[in-house]
Amino acid sequence: MAEKKSLNQKIAALDTEVEWFYSDDFKLEEATEKYKKAIKLAKEIEQDLSDLQNEIQVLSEDFSK
Amino acid sequence: MEAITPTEFLNVVNQTLEYAYSSVTIVGEVASFKVNQGKWVFFDLKDEESSVGCFMTLWSLRQPLEDGMKIMVRGVPKVTKWGKFSFTVTAVQPVGEGSLKKAYELLKKKLTAEGLFDAAKKRSLPEDLTRIGVISSTQAAGYADFIKILNARWGGMKVQVAHTQVQGLDAPDQIMRALQYFNERSEVQVIAILRGGGSADDLACFNDEALVRAVASSKIPVICGIGHEVDESLCDLACDIRASTPSNAAEMLTRDRTAEKAKLIRTMEQTGQRVLQEIGRVKAANNDKMQQMWQKLQRECTNLQKTLEQKQKMLKILNPENVLKQGYAIVAGTINPGSVVKITTFKNEIEAEIKKVKERK
Repeated sequence: MAEKKSLNQKIAALDTEVEWFYSDDFKLEEATEKYKKAIKLAKEIEQDLSDLQNEIQVLSEDFSK
Repeated sequence: MEAITPTEFLNVVNQTLEYAYSSVTIVGEVASFKVNQGKWVFFDLKDEESSVGCFMTLWSLRQPLEDGMKIMVRGVPKVTKWGKFSFTVTAVQPVGEGSLKKAYELLKKKLTAEGLFDAAKKRSLPEDLTRIGVISSTQAAGYADFIKILNARWGGMKVQVAHTQVQGLDAPDQIMRALQYFNERSEVQVIAILRGGGSADDLACFNDEALVRAVASSKIPVICGIGHEVDESLCDLACDIRASTPSNAAEMLTRDRTAEKAKLIRTMEQTGQRVLQEIGRVKAANNDKMQQMWQKLQRECTNLQKTLEQKQKMLKILNPENVLKQGYAIVAGTINPGSVVKITTFKNEIEAEIKKVKERK
């Protein structure tokens, strides 16, 4: 099973998707599908930005000894 | 009472002292500071009326000392086998602005010369930061500020917190143990050492030589958010990234989710515009081609029309009727005397007999 991507990794993936639209590889015939894919990823990131919480764990180790 | 030997007596005295004063903290001024054989440190700790002889190992001296400096020491009282009272020091920390500054400058000079603070040694933060180790007191306001800002700005990170003292004589050792803990496990990508604002005495532990060296030699990059913006500790100089405060450390470790959302919307709008722009460009290019074709067609038609008109004019000129109209006549038949020829004029058709044929001269 593929490892779940972190928020930063998703943002990096979206950046790559968006770069294609400004690159020499851009083709209008492929643009709609690519744009749909990018929009889906953007919505996922937006959701993560709203929902994701940090996990704070105070260690039980005693550093005074 | 039964008589005892001097050794037994000193043993009893030392046991009593240890029971009564297992750990004493004294503040006083350093006098007669000296180091013997590169190993043993001797000095007196005095006030206006009294003086206490102190002893410690050079190894456990983690702050540079000079005569006249005001320091706080922790240790145990003892009577030596020669019957001399001594205070064995286990921890030292300068106190008061003047002494702190003096100790700070001396150690800074020494560690700078060793290259401990070299900019070339600084590492940057990992790009995909998801695991952070925090060393701080969980009761400190600076720690609370850090967590608050971290949670407000970003999510999805695992934060391990090592609770330690962040001021006082015990703080350096505790922070060093926490640094060792994180370095041994390699579970976190960056270690944040945090402490909010305080007096120079409160922040003095971050100028402890052993701690500064531990920060500089950490395998995992270290960010320090200690005190306020104006405070500069030696740990700040030794770490990879210096934040001005714990809150600033949280800002440096994270992106702002609100700004990221806005950026996300802007990016997708611009990308949509890019597609529309390309569609417009292709449409415009097609229109241009159609326009060019139409213009070419129009030019061809005009040329054909002109040619036609010219030919029509030519035909008109060549029309025999027009020649007849000008008074000319067409003679058809054999040109011999006596033969009958047909003469056509504009108005008439005439049959005539040839009387004589003569060559023109």
